[in-house]
Amino acid sequence: MTPTNVEAIAAADRKIVTFILGKQVFGIDMKALIEIREWEEPTPLPSVPHFIRGVTNLRGTVVPVVGLSERLGWEPSVLHSRSCILVVNISGKRAGFLVDHVADIIPISDSDIQPAPDVEVGEQGIISGLVQVPNKIQAGDEAATESGTMVLLLDLEALNVTRHLDLAA
Amino acid sequence: MSDELDEIQAIFFEECAEGLATAEEGLSAMAAGDVSSEVIAGVFRAVHSIKGGSGAFGHAALLAFSHRFENVLDEVRGGKIEPTPEVTKTMLAAFDLLSDHVAAAQGQAGLPNDAEMLAELDRILETKGASAGGAAPAAAAPAPVAAAAPAADEMGFVPVVVELEDFDADPFGFEPVGVSLEDFDAPAPTLGGWIIRFRPSRAAMANGAEPMFVIRELEESGARVIDVDSSALPDLRDLDPEEGYLQWTLSMPAEIEESVIRDCFDFVAPDSVIEIEREAQPEPAPVIEEAPAPIAEAPVVEAAIAETVAATPVAAPAPAAAPKAAAPAAEGKAHEAAQTIRVDLLKLDLLLNLVGELVIRGSILNDRLSPRDQERVELPELARLTREIQDNVMSLRAQPIRQAFSRVPRMLRDLATETGKQVILETTGEMTEVDKGVIEKIGDPLTHMIRNAVDHGVESPAERIAVGKSPEGTIRLSAEQKGARIFVRVSDDGRGINRERVRAKAVEKGIISADAILSNEEIDQLICAPGFSTAETISNISGRGVGMDVVRSNVEALGGRVEIHSTPGEGTTFTMALPLTLAILDGMIVRFAEQRYVLPLANVIEAVRPEAGQVQPMTPTSEVIELRGSYLPVKRLSEMFGLAANDPRDPEDSLVIIVDSEAGNVGLMVDAIDDRREVVIKSLDENLHPIRGIGGATILGDGSIALILDIDALLAGTSHNNTKYAPKGIAA
Repeated sequence: MTPTNVEAIAAADRKIVTFILGKQVFGIDMKALIEIREWEEPTPLPSVPHFIRGVTNLRGTVVPVVGLSERLGWEPSVLHSRSCILVVNISGKRAGFLVDHVADIIPISDSDIQPAPDVEVGEQGIISGLVQVPNKIQAGDEAATESGTMVLLLDLEALNVTRHLDLAA
Repeated sequence: MSDELDEIQAIFFEECAEGLATAEEGLSAMAAGDVSSEVIAGVFRAVHSIKGGSGAFGHAALLAFSHRFENVLDEVRGGKIEPTPEVTKTMLAAFDLLSDHVAAAQGQAGLPNDAEMLAELDRILETKGASAGGAAPAAAAPAPVAAAAPAADEMGFVPVVVELEDFDADPFGFEPVGVSLEDFDAPAPTLGGWIIRFRPSRAAMANGAEPMFVIRELEESGARVIDVDSSALPDLRDLDPEEGYLQWTLSMPAEIEESVIRDCFDFVAPDSVIEIEREAQPEPAPVIEEAPAPIAEAPVVEAAIAETVAATPVAAPAPAAAPKAAAPAAEGKAHEAAQTIRVDLLKLDLLLNLVGELVIRGSILNDRLSPRDQERVELPELARLTREIQDNVMSLRAQPIRQAFSRVPRMLRDLATETGKQVILETTGEMTEVDKGVIEKIGDPLTHMIRNAVDHGVESPAERIAVGKSPEGTIRLSAEQKGARIFVRVSDDGRGINRERVRAKAVEKGIISADAILSNEEIDQLICAPGFSTAETISNISGRGVGMDVVRSNVEALGGRVEIHSTPGEGTTFTMALPLTLAILDGMIVRFAEQRYVLPLANVIEAVRPEAGQVQPMTPTSEVIELRGSYLPVKRLSEMFGLAANDPRDPEDSLVIIVDSEAGNVGLMVDAIDDRREVVIKSLDENLHPIRGIGGATILGDGSIALILDIDALLAGTSHNNTKYAPKGIAA
């Protein structure tokens, strides 16, 4: 959390944490983030959807670890040295998301957010919007164009990671 | 109603519960013959607090009833009414009604019909009060006199009886102030004492400086309100509820240090009027101080701001005499508050989690250090301290089991009335401490056990006399801790279990076959079987055949067990053996498919290393194990969990753990047993959702997580599907 441009922060409506998943750059609201942890193999659970990789110990509480890539319908993430877990708070419940690596913390203003184009996405509302940020994220080649890098903003609630089964059952 | 008020109200009800418990304890002691003044005063204070709070929250019916009850208690306390057994009995009944009133105020029940009891209380007040103490004091009259001009008593004082709840929109936001003159039986302050004038400013009110608290604090140092100047009060339509219009004048004994008085005003905004001065001439002593004894014995007088407004003209001639001096509404709470604080249970759980983590991190650190460093003094000391913190945090959740026992006396009185049986309760070990979660959950089983004991155990007085017992049955309720278990016993000295009849009934109901050979103990256990009932008539107390069944399933759900010992003609004892805490489980740590799991030790019967041929397939997807001539189904846990489809492992390389479940005895195939130890249970649904077959999780010494198996749920899910664990995976 080392804002380089203090004025930009002051003008910003919110800060987002961006991270790389496959070739995509995603962003979540900074306020939801609790901490970033090193990847540790979680304890697998029986009878849960494939994207729940298991549970892990977060300072004495049992927190589910979600393969975010699988949850979004992509191939499961390949684990590597920079793989990490974003621990987030989703309306009071905590969950960890496996991501390829964390990129940056970026101030954005609400007016920068464009609605996600109405394409066939299977599940409504998971991508809450798109925002273009300056090119300094190097990982996602495909996401970066000359004008900037596309960041997909995730709606954590809509991911339904802790309620998914209740709905299915 | 605002959240904040709801919260305060919730605290009030908590205090009510405590007050009721105290009152009941005291009344029971009185019934048992202890009529010492402390006991009576304790009951009085408890009822008084309930009355005070009920007025503040507008529970009119509760206020009216508690007020009348309090009047009687007050007379008893003052020695005007003899606490004879009959009076005590009436008061116990009044107490029961008071409990009902509290429940009604909480919205848990309808308003009880208290007309009869009120009449009875009045009768006691009139007859005993008059015979013992001369003229009935004016304030002993029924409460809701409200603004009706009360008759002047022999001192010429005008007691002011005010019902605050008649004044719905209390413009001051003050709590009603119940006053009892007995609170002032301390020697009258010597003349030349302090005179304190206090008028809270608008700023003070805005800052939340509650004048009542200040006055209460002053009173604790011995001050008395001798005047309330309400002349600044405007007409109602001009009244600004946030403004301070009233000025209190208090007298304070001379020996109190000025600094003590100043301290009481510490948090009052500085622009409030606060004058503290020595009374100049001793002559115009407040009339009240010369008041002869009858005054000191005068009963509670309700004084409230609202009435002070209306009554000013009346009270004016003798301002110093107006007997009001606000006693704190929650009198008796002040000293308790110094000893206990209320803490959200969630905070304790969080603390417990963090301490648990500390322990784990400590042991990881220890493992990573060289053996030489491990032996350094600091490290074992740190470990010891951490353990100590952990034990202490755990003990914070512990509460005396008295909380669960507290409803029993009332229940017994009701049962005695319904059945016509006479029952005495003896309680021991009520201070035994148990986890709060356990206390909350044993209420129902305890109720059933007590009902069962009265309904089926204790005989009618005639029957008892016929067999040479005293007409009164005795029920003993006890609690004791042994190791990590707590034993709660309910025993009666009744007729005992009629084994012939139980057996016949069980055969009739198809619970056992007619030729089954059962030991006495096994027959006794039958009364806990689902659907069993021997009661000849279905009473509304028990006999619906669900009671003891519920007891057993509830207790087992807590990780406990029920034992029954009965001697025909002498009585029956039910014992609940419960874990001390719900947060800890005695478990066996097993390993399969490279993961560790915890099996609750309560389910484990034995572990078997199968010999070749001992485990055999029965169908392509199911296996059985032969054990001492009988065949039990065997489940491969790794397959049930879908961790290793078609687990190729030879049974001979595995261990089969025989577990007891609702579905009968089943063998579970695992790779190895790692350990046996107590584990701390963490819930899965805190951050996820419940998973059927998994009772929770625990954190092992190395910080990793092991899932705790819920054997009953796990095996219930497989009874119709022998191959895979039911894929739905959600328990409600």
